[in-house]
Amino acid sequence: MTEFALSVRDVTVRFGGVKVLDGVNLDVKPGEIRGLIGPNGAGKTTLLNVVSGIHAPLQGDIMLDGESIAGHKPSDIARRGLGRTFQTSKLFRGMTVLENLMAGLHRRTHSGIFRSGFRLTRVTAEEEEAERAARKSLEFVGMAQFADRHGTELSFGQQRVIEIARTLISDPKVVLLDEPAVGLSINRLAEFDLLLRRIRDEKGVTLILIEHVIRLVMDVCDKVTVLSSGRVIADGEPDQVRHNEQVIEAYLGKELRARHSAS
Amino acid sequence: MGLFSRRNVLAILLLLALIVPSFANAYQLFVGNLILIYVLLAIGLNVLVGYAGQLAFANAAMFGIGAYGTALLQVHLSWPFYLAFPAGALIAMAVGLMISLPALRLSGLYLALSTLAFAQFAQWVFLHWDTLTFGAGGFKSPPISFAPLPLSKPVGLYYLSLITTVCVTLFAQNVVASRIGRAFVAVRDSEIAAQSLGVDLLRYKALAFGISGFTAGLAGGLYSQLLNFVSPEGFDLFQMVIQKSTIVVGGLGSIAGSVLGAAAIVIILELLREVKGAQEVFFGAVLIFFVTFLRGGIVSVLQQRLRGWDEPLHGTRGTDAKSAPQLRLDEKESLP
Amino acid sequence: MLLFSYLLLGGLTSGVLYALVALGLVVVNKSTGIVNFAQGELFMFCGFLAWTVHVQFGLAYPLAFLAAIAGGFLLGVVTDRVAFRSLAKTDVVGLVLATVGLGFVLRGTARMIWGGKGDYLSFPPITSPEPVMIGTIMIIPQQMAALAGALVIMLAFAAFFKFTRAGKIMRATADNAKASTLVGISIQNVYTLAFGTGAAIAGAAAVLAAPLSLLYPDMGFAFFIKGFAAAVLGGLNSLSGAVVGGLLVGIVESMAGGYIHSNMMEVAPFLLIMLVLIVCPTGILSLYKARDV
Repeated sequence: MTEFALSVRDVTVRFGGVKVLDGVNLDVKPGEIRGLIGPNGAGKTTLLNVVSGIHAPLQGDIMLDGESIAGHKPSDIARRGLGRTFQTSKLFRGMTVLENLMAGLHRRTHSGIFRSGFRLTRVTAEEEEAERAARKSLEFVGMAQFADRHGTELSFGQQRVIEIARTLISDPKVVLLDEPAVGLSINRLAEFDLLLRRIRDEKGVTLILIEHVIRLVMDVCDKVTVLSSGRVIADGEPDQVRHNEQVIEAYLGKELRARHSAS
Repeated sequence: MGLFSRRNVLAILLLLALIVPSFANAYQLFVGNLILIYVLLAIGLNVLVGYAGQLAFANAAMFGIGAYGTALLQVHLSWPFYLAFPAGALIAMAVGLMISLPALRLSGLYLALSTLAFAQFAQWVFLHWDTLTFGAGGFKSPPISFAPLPLSKPVGLYYLSLITTVCVTLFAQNVVASRIGRAFVAVRDSEIAAQSLGVDLLRYKALAFGISGFTAGLAGGLYSQLLNFVSPEGFDLFQMVIQKSTIVVGGLGSIAGSVLGAAAIVIILELLREVKGAQEVFFGAVLIFFVTFLRGGIVSVLQQRLRGWDEPLHGTRGTDAKSAPQLRLDEKESLP
Repeated sequence: MLLFSYLLLGGLTSGVLYALVALGLVVVNKSTGIVNFAQGELFMFCGFLAWTVHVQFGLAYPLAFLAAIAGGFLLGVVTDRVAFRSLAKTDVVGLVLATVGLGFVLRGTARMIWGGKGDYLSFPPITSPEPVMIGTIMIIPQQMAALAGALVIMLAFAAFFKFTRAGKIMRATADNAKASTLVGISIQNVYTLAFGTGAAIAGAAAVLAAPLSLLYPDMGFAFFIKGFAAAVLGGLNSLSGAVVGGLLVGIVESMAGGYIHSNMMEVAPFLLIMLVLIVCPTGILSLYKARDV
């Protein structure tokens, strides 16, 4: 593994006439949990979209484990070991939870059309292996009892966890999580915190999460990057960032910052 | 697995199909053969529309290309049927892919429009490229001889159709229950999530188009022998609507559904043979009814009533329009 | 010059009809996000209605016109109530199949009422059928009537959308559906209105087209696909784009037929569609608009 699991170098993205990302730099070490925060419209999701290949950057480069991925197709980037979840549930509606997980193994399974069509023994073995892996993955996140259920029968929080499992099942190097904790109650937040740590510790995956639940970010992240109006305005350990004046200003505005530092 | 599981029901149908020639008259044999041809069409179309979610209208054209391809190879180049038949299917698949590859970047309505345009273009070629296709009047295709087997042409053709259909059905069922099938459904349900799992959209859409083109081509080759006559008439939009009806009635996203739907539709088609206007009204109404109220088709009803009926990739058990697998409108998937 | 003007005017005439079909499609699409695949059959059915009123019952042409528009509106309302209430707006497969099905119901009904395949009904011309020469340009009065009529219809509908309450409500909903519910507009009623209006436009187009060509139950689809192409050319959501697109399709079709081969007339529009969809699926006009970014 190279020094950084994910490296964003000087990335600029334009939509119409607006610079949504302006010279963004980001270096994430392997096994790190990195938080990405900032006020609404700061460009956080756009950054994830550029990294995962949905948009190509105007300038700059992105490196996944040392290999350049900027401007590549999303499916290519995924195959190189990048996973991600989205703000809305994207479980496949036409599949059970188990089938969703097995679909997550797409890049790790190899049966082509002819082998599958003729159901060669290799294919059957691969399918059984995939099902085993899928069940194991569901157990890891504590959702094994829902294997044969349909995604829409479950709560949003449960769906989200299953999507994370689906992303993890193919052993990606880096996983991008877009507001995974939205709507979680305090109890669930604690569970989620634990889950993220387990993922990092037991799977060795590098995690980057966009979050608005600041408490979670401060607790679980090793480092935090703050984005505002397309630029990185702070980058460091949670405590440093929390007291950073520019960050406070970005969130609260100049007046409140004055009041804050006065107190 | 219960008594009425999917496999058992299909097995029973197969047994019935095997003994049909022993008691059927010429007309009934014809209808039976027609059903088999429509099953082929329905399976291919279901893979493309039901599983991969591609709203394409080119299947009738590829059916026609298969028929014309097979028969013309026999007539112009004197190829024997057993060569012309797979060749015709390959031609249909190749043409379908060629035309659809640029269209694969499009989704939803635009794909519908471009495949409709292609279908019209194919019709036009059938009609006007007289030197090749013999134009509006059509032409006769040389009947297959099944010598040295003691089979008359109708019976021999029936069994050939049966073998083809069974093979394609099994193949399709296997494909659908594999990672390829999951990739198709992933593409249908969320292109963005599918990509994030490493599914190459273009490749799998092309694969789905290729499968449907090939099976439609096979169906066309058999059809060219059914009456030993090929003309532009049978490959128009109405034909497309009939095909769509078979998969909607049977069940979008179900191979078994394709079989059942095709059989049902062909039987009704023949019953209404006299009045074309009535046929059109009927199929239109069927389409509307099933799409609105019984989206999962016959298969969804069977899934609910028969406990042993298992369907891969049918996470939902609902029958109404809202709970069945749906296609997203272009890329209006939420991506803030 | 004679040939060119003849082709141009012919192309403009059919173009303007395609533009009307396209307008009907865009009106519905703007409000509801749905493309009505039965639009061609609505057009055809209203044409037959007009024939019944004018030829069978012997009533005056303007009455036939009214009948077609009213009939169209009614059919549009029925379409909405029957087919679309139960379907989700994002369900493209369902909506397309349902509208295709509806198209065939209309087609079969028309066939049963007004005769089988191969029976072509003719609608008497409303002007003198003899061409008039102005310099080297040949003018066919019937075409001029159609062009003038189409222009009037387009202006009338433009006025409807701009100045009447119903029109404003439809524009508001097309712009921002959620906001309009907040203001008390009933979305369902707007959808019904949109379908009715879209179909009425098709009906108007039919009455203009009827004297120019023969009526037969299968005529709808060709108009639909060309109208759809025209709408896509203009960017599916633009009313002015639909008009431009329609004229373009009509002219290309006519020119190809005249200068290349008469057989090309049938296929030129489809080749145009394929080309446009491959090169710029968001519509030709959007290429033009995007330049100022």
